[in-house]
Amino acid sequence: MKIKNTEIVDTYAEAFSMWSAKVIITAENDYWAEGAARAMTGMATSVIGCKCEAGIDMKLEPKDTPDGRPGYSILLFTMDKESLGKRLIERIGQCVMTCPTTACFSGFNTDETVNVGGALRYFGDGHQIGKKINNERYWRIPVFDGEFIIQESFGVKESVGGGNFYILGDNVSACLDACYDAVKVMKRVENVIMPFPKGVVRSGSKVGSKYKALVASTNHIYCPTIKGVVKDSAVPENVNACYEIVVDGADEKAVAEAMSVGMQAAAKDGVTQITAGNFGGKLGKYKFFLKDLVK
Amino acid sequence: MKLKLHTQPEVPTEAESITPAIINSLKIKEIEKIKIYHGNREVHLADFFSVSNSKSTSLEVEGDMHQIKYLGANMADGEMHIEGDVGPHLGSAMSGGFIKVNGSTGDWIAPEMSGGRIHITGNGGHCIACAYRGASKGVSGGEIIIEGNVKNELGHGMANATIVVGGKCGDFTGVNMNSGTILTFGEMGIRTGAGMKRGTIICKDNIEILPTFSYDCLYSPVYLKLLLKYLIDNTEIKIDKEFAEGLFHRWSGDAIEMNRGELLVYSV
Repeated sequence: MKIKNTEIVDTYAEAFSMWSAKVIITAENDYWAEGAARAMTGMATSVIGCKCEAGIDMKLEPKDTPDGRPGYSILLFTMDKESLGKRLIERIGQCVMTCPTTACFSGFNTDETVNVGGALRYFGDGHQIGKKINNERYWRIPVFDGEFIIQESFGVKESVGGGNFYILGDNVSACLDACYDAVKVMKRVENVIMPFPKGVVRSGSKVGSKYKALVASTNHIYCPTIKGVVKDSAVPENVNACYEIVVDGADEKAVAEAMSVGMQAAAKDGVTQITAGNFGGKLGKYKFFLKDLVK
Repeated sequence: MKLKLHTQPEVPTEAESITPAIINSLKIKEIEKIKIYHGNREVHLADFFSVSNSKSTSLEVEGDMHQIKYLGANMADGEMHIEGDVGPHLGSAMSGGFIKVNGSTGDWIAPEMSGGRIHITGNGGHCIACAYRGASKGVSGGEIIIEGNVKNELGHGMANATIVVGGKCGDFTGVNMNSGTILTFGEMGIRTGAGMKRGTIICKDNIEILPTFSYDCLYSPVYLKLLLKYLIDNTEIKIDKEFAEGLFHRWSGDAIEMNRGELLVYSV
């Protein structure tokens, strides 16, 4: 199968189950809302080394936020529900509460919740005030510029992590152009994030390593510089660069939509092949067959 | 189901059976035989109301019911739409659901309310969401919106609930308040927040501050933006942008109690 002149390999991306929360950050203006959003999603590219994966989902207009101020929605993913609560407390406490004029709300309205504001309220040292609006409890914590408002409970849900596709091409520039175009359109899809720098991974990994202490190592079969010595190399002869785009999403539909529009945008001159990473079904329960995603 | 008052009671009449859960679970003949109290005499509902089917899923009640007490008492869910004035104790001990009154109400609305929503387009009487005499706590949750004026002791001893008044308030608004929020847009009587332990009273109009309150600062509370956005999105109450984005004087009190309450007074 091809999109334009780019071959779409008949394979699938293997994704796995994660837990996610959507966090709405608002502030007096976009400058501070973005500052908090970027701080909160910093160093959150992979659960392998960051304990969570996080990214900005959408920029929100004042009409779409709970307090009518500019904001951002953030998605944060972990491997289990318990650690999701811990990461939210750490990151909201250190990156959002500290940022001038911000407030923080849950973006998911789900039955499953984790206690976040109910833990951070103790920063108020007894001066915090609890408020209920429409059966939701919020905490007002006194801070230097007024008050930090945070919702007590944040909705969480089982989600999908590790959706992916690989872009293989003639050279670095051609592949990066394709990545740029792909990530640009994927960002328009709601409820997904591409957690790596600018949405792109150059050090795609496989499960395990020859070194026992490591849980992951370079996915050597897609490294062009060693294709001559790696017996099972997956790098075609005319390919000199490869990048991976990883997608985490609130559900399968969102991940599939993001992969679909991303592949469509990435297929262009200089991109030889689009394929995907899988581990024979050993890693996760979700399979995204590339041929099914081509529109 | 629709109930229409056909005969004005001569004395106050207690009709706590008029709730969506009870009325909508019965047939018309059964509803007509529901017992209500006309003064101290037991009568049938049909003696004062005509009963008919309606296309709406909510319970509709119509007429000048200023003599009818306890409408919607103990309501836990469902919706009741009332066209006309109603008497005291509307929504007494209500824990859920929604009552909309296109009219005014008597005194003692929503005593012991713990949840649900009441929206009154006209005026309210005295002691709305008020603790019964001798009780330390009044309402413990829910939401009451009154577009018109109210009289004395609004939210006396209230906890957790949210009350919005579009017009004037009488004296002792939020007296002995335990927690929750009162938002008022009109002229206030005297001694607002007297004896309040916790909770928030937000006033658009200037108020007389009791000497047992301490001045804190002038600021723009984010909590208020959250509350106002909710009210704008979910109710018919009109709130101007200048107020929503304005600055408020914050006073802490009442020092004769826990001193954990706050008065937020709009700075024009």
